[in-house]
Amino acid sequence: MRGGDILLTIALVVETVSPVMHCWGRLRGMDSSDTSAERGRHQGRQLLISSLRSVKVRLALGALIALGWTLGRISVPLLVRLGVDRGIENGDRPWLWAGLVALAGVVSGICLGLRRYVAFSSGRRVEADLRLRLFAHIQRLHAAFHDQTAAGDLMSRSQTDLQQFQNVFTMVPITVGNFFIVCGSVIMMLLLHPVLALLALVGLPLVTIIGRMFSQRLFPVAMQIQTESAELASVVEESVTGIRVVKGFGAEEVQRTKLSKEADDVFDRSLAAAKIRATFVPAIELLPNLGLVLVLAYGGRLVLDGDLTIGGLISFNLYVIMLINPLRMLGMILAQVQRALAAGTRISAILETAPEIVSPSKPTPLRPRRTDEGGGARIRFEHVGFSYRDDLPVLRDIHFEIESGETVALVGPTGCGKSTIAQLLPRFYDVDGGSIEIDGVDIRNVDLAELRRSVSLVFEDTFLFSATVAENIAFAQPDASPGQVRRAATLAGAADFIDELPEGYRTVLGERGFSLSGGQRQRLAIARAIVADPRLLILDDATSAVDASTEHEIKDAMDEVMKGRTTVVIAHRPATIGLADRVVFLDDGRIAAQGTHEELLATNARYAEVLASADGPADEHTPAVV
Amino acid sequence: MGMWMQGGVDEDDKLDVHQTRKILNRTFRRLGPYRRRGFLAVFFLTTWTAATLAGPLLVRVAIDDGIRARDLDVLNRSTVFYVLAAIVAYGTYRGAIFTLARVGEEFLRDLRRETFDRLTAQSLGYFDRNKGGVLVSRMTSDIDSLSELVQFGLLMFLVALFQLVATTVLLAFLQPLLLLLCLVTMPILVVASRKFQRDSNVAYLKVRDGIGATLSSLQEGINGTRVVQAFAREEAQAKRFASTSEDLYDSHMASVRIAAWYLPIIEFSGTLTTAIAIGVGAGLVSGGSITVGTVVAFVLLLQGLFEPVQQLSQLFNLVQSAVASLSKIYEVIDAPTDVPEPERPQALPRHAPLSVDDVTFSYLPGARVLENVSLELAAGERLALVGPTGAGKSTLAKVIARFYEPDSGSISVGGVDLRSASSAELRERIVVIPQEGHLFSGTIAENLRLALPGATDDELAASCARLGVLERIQAFPDGFQTDVWDRGSRLSAGERQLISLARAALVDPDVLILDEATSSLDPGTEQLIEQALERLMEGRTVIVIAHRLSTAERADRVGVVDQARLLELGTHDELVAAGGAYSDLYAAWTR
Repeated sequence: MRGGDILLTIALVVETVSPVMHCWGRLRGMDSSDTSAERGRHQGRQLLISSLRSVKVRLALGALIALGWTLGRISVPLLVRLGVDRGIENGDRPWLWAGLVALAGVVSGICLGLRRYVAFSSGRRVEADLRLRLFAHIQRLHAAFHDQTAAGDLMSRSQTDLQQFQNVFTMVPITVGNFFIVCGSVIMMLLLHPVLALLALVGLPLVTIIGRMFSQRLFPVAMQIQTESAELASVVEESVTGIRVVKGFGAEEVQRTKLSKEADDVFDRSLAAAKIRATFVPAIELLPNLGLVLVLAYGGRLVLDGDLTIGGLISFNLYVIMLINPLRMLGMILAQVQRALAAGTRISAILETAPEIVSPSKPTPLRPRRTDEGGGARIRFEHVGFSYRDDLPVLRDIHFEIESGETVALVGPTGCGKSTIAQLLPRFYDVDGGSIEIDGVDIRNVDLAELRRSVSLVFEDTFLFSATVAENIAFAQPDASPGQVRRAATLAGAADFIDELPEGYRTVLGERGFSLSGGQRQRLAIARAIVADPRLLILDDATSAVDASTEHEIKDAMDEVMKGRTTVVIAHRPATIGLADRVVFLDDGRIAAQGTHEELLATNARYAEVLASADGPADEHTPAVV
Repeated sequence: MGMWMQGGVDEDDKLDVHQTRKILNRTFRRLGPYRRRGFLAVFFLTTWTAATLAGPLLVRVAIDDGIRARDLDVLNRSTVFYVLAAIVAYGTYRGAIFTLARVGEEFLRDLRRETFDRLTAQSLGYFDRNKGGVLVSRMTSDIDSLSELVQFGLLMFLVALFQLVATTVLLAFLQPLLLLLCLVTMPILVVASRKFQRDSNVAYLKVRDGIGATLSSLQEGINGTRVVQAFAREEAQAKRFASTSEDLYDSHMASVRIAAWYLPIIEFSGTLTTAIAIGVGAGLVSGGSITVGTVVAFVLLLQGLFEPVQQLSQLFNLVQSAVASLSKIYEVIDAPTDVPEPERPQALPRHAPLSVDDVTFSYLPGARVLENVSLELAAGERLALVGPTGAGKSTLAKVIARFYEPDSGSISVGGVDLRSASSAELRERIVVIPQEGHLFSGTIAENLRLALPGATDDELAASCARLGVLERIQAFPDGFQTDVWDRGSRLSAGERQLISLARAALVDPDVLILDEATSSLDPGTEQLIEQALERLMEGRTVIVIAHRLSTAERADRVGVVDQARLLELGTHDELVAAGGAYSDLYAAWTR
């Protein structure tokens, strides 16, 4: 080989390897510009790299197997050349060459199967790991995040996006294999005939450039498709959950128009992506063909001049053909990497959202529970101010105390901030100003798990898990004995209807299980809180759907429930308010008055008005129509 | 190979050949409107296949007639034709990608619209019978799984198919005997492919179940976050989810194992055939029956025979999941509406009496929820329905609103049966206000316009002012343009209810059906709600599902519903005097 040939060879190899180096450089974020799209890509890229690291052993194994596959494949054209030149042209043991071709097939076949297995196992591993991470992270994210993020959106990120993301990992070994094939083919061609090889490969650097343009153009569109799909999913979700309203107003057409618009948007973006694909994918395929033409034209002359055998020309042809698939796939892989980056960006947007409510680094332990002090917790609101959004204060200068073991009712008109107070106690939100103390410790200094084990909040709308009745009741204490569960159910007035369920305590509830009425659900939620045995129990309108007659029945039980702990009840029925030792009357985000129910009725006109506005004091005895 | 045979799959779940064929036929019929583009795509692909296959043939000509015959002219000409073929291949491939993608995306868009149209046309009974999450997934994950097929699969499928067919024809034309010898590997391929299909069908169904289970756990995790946090059970829940998620991983891997066993067989068959071509070809060449160029072209073309087979096998899973998704989507589209639109809708007279005539209804056959209920309401009259939970009063209200179709009997306004009114008109005349104000994400104005899409800003303001809630709405940070967040979570229950009342006022219905809130609304807003309600009810026929006797007392007449029957009907005073169930209730209240 002459010196010029060697230089050319090196240049060519560098050019061949450069797309791969380039991709790697981009993955590592070496060339970063500062647009926001770039920043988004950066996050997705980071996720991609860390996920690649997590399965690096598998990927390395995959690469090794891919090498075996490449060796098998690459030797076929060589053996075919020998077969044609020696076996066919010279009649020299043709079946030996045929046998060797078959043997190469066995090697490449076995490696192909193994490669597939290793490739998919790494993709699915990444998927399963990330899915779990997403799930665990979503569970930890603060309430304010959930307020502002549609469930459908979270679902589509942990489903569609994750799917797109994992696809890339299944492609890694084949990409490595393809890389070997490209290198191997190039080397074999150079060994066969350097000049012809250079002619055949002249199109390769162009593939790099076109591939790069392709990925840059496709990324933003891929991102838009994902966003539009998520919007479409949201329209479907809210139409299905709100179907009663949609039907009630005959708003089917309104929702259909909404959906139609979203479907158009998805269509429009998908078509834009198709246009980009249609421009670049065929171009990437065209280039090796140019190589074939040159091989034929120049190689043919070489054979005529006696510088190359026919077998050599054929194996050249086979090597160029061998390049077509890797290059074709390069386009697909680049597109898939773009989609994965878009998906990874959306996934990491969730993972990168730090939970705003977290345990302090050095938590102050709560003092042990003391039965002599009522068994509950002493709660103190110290000039608390709070707003969900800066512009809209919900609580202003809330300042009051609850003694251990005391039961306090929070009463007030809608929007006065009662439920907000309930949500502040277990730290679903943090106060903007002032502080909340439990047994003299600022709740922000208490370990979060300890705080929430001490404070149980029962919501108005009860969420039940797809699990048995017993599991739902024992949610806070899965090791609770059946006796404890039954006792809690009895206290909450739920035991009777549970016994009537098809499988009693083993009846499965939830989305895929048995559905209960609102009142039954609420009673289960109370039973759940009883099992949790908190120091502070907050009932936020937790009996609103329980028939007043039933509520009356469970009144004694409620007394029992409130024994040995501090209780905050939010209620509208005087019957429920009557359970409290004291009433804190809230109006417009402030404490308007405090005292017993009777005192407030007697002294506070506004309190009386607020309570009377519905049905008057007689409401206390209204059995809400039997 | 026993490990691929495992798995008990529900017989009903299996997509048999017959069913698959039906679904595919139907899908092709649905593609009818895109026929012209489809033909264009087929034209592009045919040309592309021809241009691609021309390559090896030109090589054969170049070797046999050019190089071996030492004719430079032939070599040059074949080169020029090769260049032309490459250019044609570029243009047609480009056309094929775009045309096919357009057909696919249009198909998906129309499928999305039609599925949603059919879904929203269903009666409430349908939504009672089917879980919301499942219905949503028809429109999301099921159609998404089709889009993968549309974006890559369809093209790959057609390309592979065309290549396969064209190559076989070409090879047969070149040298039938050699082709036959090469095809000795076919039986292996056929047997392996059939087994692969069967096994991967089983594995696919398991994967599908795994995905379903994972999704519903995920959804539960998202919706139940607050409860999980309230009891500090985040880690326990994550552990629970991990086992579901791992099960899915395992079934994915089981399905991969099947492919990992199948692919080597395809790959090996490919090279074995090449080996046969060389071995046998050498014999034929030395026998003088074929040329070296033919053997070479043969070897080159064989690549085009086995690659498509491999690609088709990879596509098999994709097609299979698409067929399964399509069958589920078609199920939604095919579901009959149990509240059908009349063929020739009749106009409902305005301000006319409403009559319920001998209505019987059951959600499930055999369990009657309403039995022979009859009543007559004058225009503008207020009726309160009272009775224990589950007695049927909500159902009666829903049947009157034609959310459900009565099993027998009829409901009419001014003598016109509601069944002969168009649903659009029905919803303008009869409005139902549920217990809880359900809002959609978007602004307050958008939520109001749900009822009357064309309403102007002034009309919105005027209708709110009529109810006396205008100030309250204007007090929100951005007034009517305030974003209420997902499902109105930014507003309180009472505020949501106010907006839902304003929405009803915008429609200006003749009949109002009201499910009174039990007690979830706070007294403060309740006053405003009460006042708004009072104004809303003015001049309209009202049926209220009462949870308080005071509401009943204020109504013109009271109906007591118990055990699926209308037990008592009369004015408050009459019923109290009659000494029946209602008077017992009243006595308990005033004791």
